[in-house]
Amino acid sequence: MSPVRIVLIYQSLLGIYGDRGNAMVLAKRLEWRGIDHELIVVEPGEPVPPDAGVYLLGGGEDMAQISAVRALTSDTNLFRGMDAGAVLFAVCAGYQICGQTFTVGDHDEVIDGLGLLDVTTRRGPQRAVGEILTRWTRPDGSVSLITGFENHGGFTTLGADAAPLAQVEVGIGNSGDGTEGAVQGRAIGTYPHGPVLARNPDLADHVLSLALGRDLEPLDLPEVDRLRADRIAHVRAGRRRVGA
Amino acid sequence: MVPANSRSRRPDDDLGRVRLGLAIGAGRLAAKASRLAGRGSGASIRGQVMLRIDPQAFGKLLRHRRIAAVSGTNGKTTTTHLLTAAVRASLSDGNRVVTNADGANLYHGIASALGEHPDADIAILETDERVVRELIRQGRPELLVLLNFSRDQLDRHHEIKALGRSWRDALVEAGTEGPVVVANSCDPLVVWAARAAHRTVWVDTGDSWTQDAALCPECGSVLVHAPATPASRARWHCPACDLSQPTPDYVVHGDDVTDRSGTVHHLALQVPGRFNRANAACALAAAVEFGGGAADALRGMRDVKSPAGRYATAHFGSTSARLLLAKNPAGWAESLPLAASDPVVLAIDSAAADGRDVSWLWDVDYEQLAGRHVVCTGPRAQDLAVRLTYAGVEHSVEPDLSTALTDRSATLDCIATYTPFQRLRRLGGLA
Ligand SMILES: [Zn+2]
Repeated sequence: MSPVRIVLIYQSLLGIYGDRGNAMVLAKRLEWRGIDHELIVVEPGEPVPPDAGVYLLGGGEDMAQISAVRALTSDTNLFRGMDAGAVLFAVCAGYQICGQTFTVGDHDEVIDGLGLLDVTTRRGPQRAVGEILTRWTRPDGSVSLITGFENHGGFTTLGADAAPLAQVEVGIGNSGDGTEGAVQGRAIGTYPHGPVLARNPDLADHVLSLALGRDLEPLDLPEVDRLRADRIAHVRAGRRRVGA
Repeated sequence: MVPANSRSRRPDDDLGRVRLGLAIGAGRLAAKASRLAGRGSGASIRGQVMLRIDPQAFGKLLRHRRIAAVSGTNGKTTTTHLLTAAVRASLSDGNRVVTNADGANLYHGIASALGEHPDADIAILETDERVVRELIRQGRPELLVLLNFSRDQLDRHHEIKALGRSWRDALVEAGTEGPVVVANSCDPLVVWAARAAHRTVWVDTGDSWTQDAALCPECGSVLVHAPATPASRARWHCPACDLSQPTPDYVVHGDDVTDRSGTVHHLALQVPGRFNRANAACALAAAVEFGGGAADALRGMRDVKSPAGRYATAHFGSTSARLLLAKNPAGWAESLPLAASDPVVLAIDSAAADGRDVSWLWDVDYEQLAGRHVVCTGPRAQDLAVRLTYAGVEHSVEPDLSTALTDRSATLDCIATYTPFQRLRRLGGLA
């Protein structure tokens, strides 16, 4: 079997919130299990490999979003990779550009997204900034908590073809409507940084399971369990200050 | 340029002076009360009280002085200390210079320092990025040093370009009455802002941090960064517009700075690291522009040892720890290679002054610590522990700062984010 390709797309544009950590986490979790893999970082101007197992997009500024959409649209390999069954995991600004449209700048210019998720994003009434806690229902029906840090001005509305990734317990999420993130086929979008896959190993392994087509045994990482317990207790203690 | 002190005197000037005097007096009392209560130097509360009583105090206190301001994301405090030392060395009376040496660089911090030295005719001011625009408007500085721009506290400052735009707008607005700008030519956002000045002195600092300079601030195209080779220095340019790395007036190479006449100045600083040699080159260029000689400037800068406690050695029981401050990924990239001890202590917090989102830990190359032991401390020690787990770096977790440092081994290096850095200074007997 050929190595699983983890492709981090445009780190220099969509990498200001440490979201490259999601790629590092996926690669390391494969390495620890002895599963052959490659981590590939693609910058604008370089071709996106069309044969990835997982594509990753992270958070960034408005101008970077426009630049990334332009480059990915002209490259087209991301679309080919998705048609071939790859998994897409997109965070924050990366999540927004995967939708139908989003807005940028002080005048809320509407920009066409990649159309990989049936969501639209518009400027929200206030910026969503702070620790977030959501409840994600896993494929087997069990609930796993997702902890992270959200920081976004855009509010996202889901269309008929997309389903929410999780339900918000603390924080804003998509738009304050109780939902967070979106799932459509093998594309997943979500707001939290942290990076989110470092804080949420169940979600990381879900992404890997989708790419590998098989379930994975959990890894025993007490450091991560302690961090999760810390952050979940902190956010439930109500120390979240919205918009601060 | 019209000197500030030639402005005509208005009838309300006397009243304004009385009010300022009251504000300074009240500020002093508040600072004294704060000191007596054991709550630090009182510098911050002094400035807050002053500005509450006289909202115009900031502008009034800036008038009648020659001003040089220093701003940028990283290195402001050290560069301000270096420039102050450089300028003082060229004067027979060093008391002519006032500076906010404690790093309090917002309106009240600057007002506090100036209010305590009404007779100092030269002010060298560390200036927060957000205050630069008003300082240019109200203070008419002769000189502005712009060091670098990188992401910092993204929970508060969402777009770093907005700050660059505010500098640029203020420089355009000031026109020929604006400052001469000494600017780091390696940083595209700095260059974009600084080229709006009527005159700019460019310093090729050799900075290699390009993670926050992907897009052209002028036209939005992806910038081309040509990395350094043995034969040539790193360069950047925009492929779509005229923004490119300017021809430098000063070039830093190793421990030397070459000026535009070809003269080589040897730095020989006490503050460590490549980053501080870049800061010193900017301070040298600024001191020369300000009218001093390079020899005096170098002599002055060589006496700077631990600006506002940075690089100072603190004591915790039998442990001596050298304290390094790193506030963001660019700062960590410079500080990590300086921390050579084993174990090394890393202190992380997420208070407002540190940035509440610690995701940036994943933008720092902690992998370089492999083979050494890291003590993770501070309120967000566990986040660092997870980062180090994935980096394959051996570590232990001790969230309490005192416990993490006390009686560990003879000498240690400790890198901390802002809040634990200040706490460690106090715990270690430095402040
Ligand atoms: Zn351009």
